[in-house]
Amino acid sequence: MSVQNGEPPDECLIQSTLAGDDEAFAALVARHKRRIFGIAARFTRSEAELDDLCQEIFIKAYRHLGKFRGEAPFEHWLSRVGVRTCYDHLRKTRHDRDAVALDDVTLPGADNVEPRRAREVLDFALAKLSPEERLVITLLELEEWTVRKIAGLTGWSESNVKVRAFRARQSLKRILEVHHER
Amino acid sequence: MNDDQLNKLFATARQAPPDTGRAEFAFETRLLARLRAERTAAAPWFVWAWRLAPLFAAIVLALGVWNMTGTSDPLADLCANGSDDIALVEMLTGE
Repeated sequence: MSVQNGEPPDECLIQSTLAGDDEAFAALVARHKRRIFGIAARFTRSEAELDDLCQEIFIKAYRHLGKFRGEAPFEHWLSRVGVRTCYDHLRKTRHDRDAVALDDVTLPGADNVEPRRAREVLDFALAKLSPEERLVITLLELEEWTVRKIAGLTGWSESNVKVRAFRARQSLKRILEVHHER
Repeated sequence: MNDDQLNKLFATARQAPPDTGRAEFAFETRLLARLRAERTAAAPWFVWAWRLAPLFAAIVLALGVWNMTGTSDPLADLCANGSDDIALVEMLTGE
């Protein structure tokens, strides 16, 4: 990120953080937290869980800040840390998510389904996917990231991302059909 | 369910992005507090040794001063030595 409104660029804040200035890191966090919260919120079910996950992401970033080479914007590097931490979180909490329930599901394909209800229905169905499938389909369809970007951030090949997205869609359709039939 | 229905569901869900405003509030403060707490908890023993160095120095200084003042009364030492000798003689003679 370049200089904005006289604020120091990310690179300056990173150098100050590495020199031991905690306030510089706080400024860096304030600048990028919205993006990280946006990603992490897709994989959490409560504010407390979201807060914990975001703290974990930024603490990881803080500990590995010395490895940031500045070859790509800091935002990309931080997103990669965020996506990988979210993936680890999904794997750790996989069994908890099997218990997710949804009452009175509105017909998912109905025209009048409300945005919030659509998200709840999707959250319910996404919770039943594998961590890999859930990560890919969420970033692809809800965050509207490209396959290339997802591949770059996860470290998976583009074809791998496509295969996982395809499988995720098949699984989602099956889950929603089964639930609708009940 | 077909692909069109699923795409429609995704499009509708995208209209309601998660609201993270409340969770973001004062996040930096909480994060820095946690970082500082972890840093303190993870401090190795030699860091504590350095932090306690002034205390150790004060103790050594106090002991030195006490030692100096404690031996500055020659009469007390003389008496102490004298009573030691008497006690020894009494023990050896069985009195």
